[in-house]
Amino acid sequence: MRGPSYPKRLLATAWVLVLAAGCATYADRVTQIREEFSTGDLGRAEAAVDAGLKHRLGNDHDVLKLERSIIDLANAHPQEAEQLLREVRDHFDHLEQKAVGEKALSMVTDANRKAYAGEDYEKVLVRVMLTLSNLMGDGGDAGAYALQVADKQQQIIDAGTGSDGENPKKAYQRVAIGAYVHGMLREATHSNFDDVARSCAIVCSWQPSFPFARQDLERAQHGHHSEPGNGVLYVFTLVGIGPYKQQAIELPSTVSLLIADRILSAIGPQTLPPTIAPIKVPKVVCTPNDVTNIGVAVDGRPLGRTETITDVGGMAVAQYDAVYPHIIAEAVVRRIVKKGIIFGGKEAMGVQKDSLAGLGLDVLGVAWEATESADTRCWGLLPDKIQVLRLELPAGEHEVLLQSVGNAGITIGRPSTQRVTITNGRNTYMLANFPYSNLVGSILAKQQ
Amino acid sequence: MHRRQFLVANFLLGCGALSGSGCRSKQFAAVRSPGQGDMVGSHTAGAETYKPLVEEAVNSLLTRQTPPVTPAGTAPPPPRRICFVAVENKSAEEIGDFKDQIYEVIDLKIVNSHVFAPVNKRFVDAGLMQTRLRPDQLFVPENMRSFTYALEQQGQPFDFLLYATITSGTTRSNKDYQRDYLLTLEMINVKSGQYDKQAASLSKGYHHSRVSKWIDNIKS
Repeated sequence: MRGPSYPKRLLATAWVLVLAAGCATYADRVTQIREEFSTGDLGRAEAAVDAGLKHRLGNDHDVLKLERSIIDLANAHPQEAEQLLREVRDHFDHLEQKAVGEKALSMVTDANRKAYAGEDYEKVLVRVMLTLSNLMGDGGDAGAYALQVADKQQQIIDAGTGSDGENPKKAYQRVAIGAYVHGMLREATHSNFDDVARSCAIVCSWQPSFPFARQDLERAQHGHHSEPGNGVLYVFTLVGIGPYKQQAIELPSTVSLLIADRILSAIGPQTLPPTIAPIKVPKVVCTPNDVTNIGVAVDGRPLGRTETITDVGGMAVAQYDAVYPHIIAEAVVRRIVKKGIIFGGKEAMGVQKDSLAGLGLDVLGVAWEATESADTRCWGLLPDKIQVLRLELPAGEHEVLLQSVGNAGITIGRPSTQRVTITNGRNTYMLANFPYSNLVGSILAKQQ
Repeated sequence: MHRRQFLVANFLLGCGALSGSGCRSKQFAAVRSPGQGDMVGSHTAGAETYKPLVEEAVNSLLTRQTPPVTPAGTAPPPPRRICFVAVENKSAEEIGDFKDQIYEVIDLKIVNSHVFAPVNKRFVDAGLMQTRLRPDQLFVPENMRSFTYALEQQGQPFDFLLYATITSGTTRSNKDYQRDYLLTLEMINVKSGQYDKQAASLSKGYHHSRVSKWIDNIKS
């Protein structure tokens, strides 16, 4: 019985390649959501996220849920945000396990075919946002979430040792806000100052640029929560537009691979598809932000500015840079696998070197490689910085005014106010979103 | 490689890849039966350390403080009022969520012993909040008076203050180390200043590999 002719075989191969082609990037979708969110159009941002979540086969549901949680927080729905964040946290934990089939599929398509398990910084920040959401909700689990922040970081670092014994994750910048919140909650018990001092020492060590760290430590070691008749207001702000992933062309690897495949094509029994399509990799980038701090005035008196407890953008870029060589290596291996399959296909079909059929398969190989797109899935609505200001205020009702401060140190944007009640000896929390100079959504306020 | 073999191999590889099923498993949990030993923390102390420490220290304290049997016909003395102020962690490790549990377990054991009548933690916390005193500031006479007054106002007078303190000592041997944990219960008579102290200790070895642990076992 005769086998199928060359054209039929080529057609079949082309069909397989089309099936295996990569998807459009997440970057396009998230750019739109980021724009709508940062300009305060929460309704459209929410609709765009929900439209993505309706796709039953979407492999970006987790990141969309993360985007939705930030929108929920801005819309003053902390319980809904917490629910979504908890779902994603648990799913990310599940996806940390290796899946051989999925990995193999991603080798013949692109990294978008893998379930997204989150970048390391996202896994930690899910817990940070859980802490803040719970603090603005019933507050009962905030302490547990705060402990999970440090715990998850340690797990990530412990698991980072490669087969060569090197651990690039040891260089990771640690997230201090978990320890800060833990200390803050323990201080409000008025009896666990050893815990508070320990947490403050961690903040000093992990975020030395946080200007209040020393005075917090001093208070934990020798002071008390507040003077009798006073309570404490913590103003948390999510400042700036955070990091996101862009598709980048990895030129040095592309050129190296092109040289290698040309040499192998010249000396080998078959030609290889030339590396014409560039190797695409995701790259975490920061957005420049005009807002440096948020000025806080109480009852008309300016009392201070929020300061950075976690530099999300800087941390994300530094963490990603530490593991970037591994991402390039995976993209290069994917190309080699594809070239190997084309080579094997030619051998299996008995194609002559430099024949028309061989040329056709090379063209198919190039097309196959060109279908790759970088995995740009990421949590796009993260803030650039998480900031905080602690204020001791007399018990009673106060009007708190928030206004963004620009690079020149002067206030920019519209002032936003919120009334809060301070209770003697207790904490009160506020959370506000300032992606650009103006407040987005509502200011959340919650008494302990 | 023969063409047919190659195609079969490719087909199998493709099926495996396209199935995308992977080998991720679900996380499982099971309720540990009372007879089952505790899991042992590989890097820090856990239930295997704190449970026996609390058990031993509290039992020692209660045994020593149990009042002598009163003669028949004599009413037993009322249980002494004790104010359990805090668990202080002065060890090299963070104890995270264990701290509140240690407090609760000690408090529960004292309540159930009927040797003491402890002041409820909520009153203790309210007293500390009202006076803005730190637990370590209570021994200044003026502070003690204001704290006692604050609790008396709440109808909670007390005779003794109780502190639990966790400390540790670390001995290193190359990559391995031994950590000695000590839980101290300190009971101070607020009127006379006399105190009683009971402690329980436990040593734990941390090894960087199974072989190292095995060698350590052979040595001992």
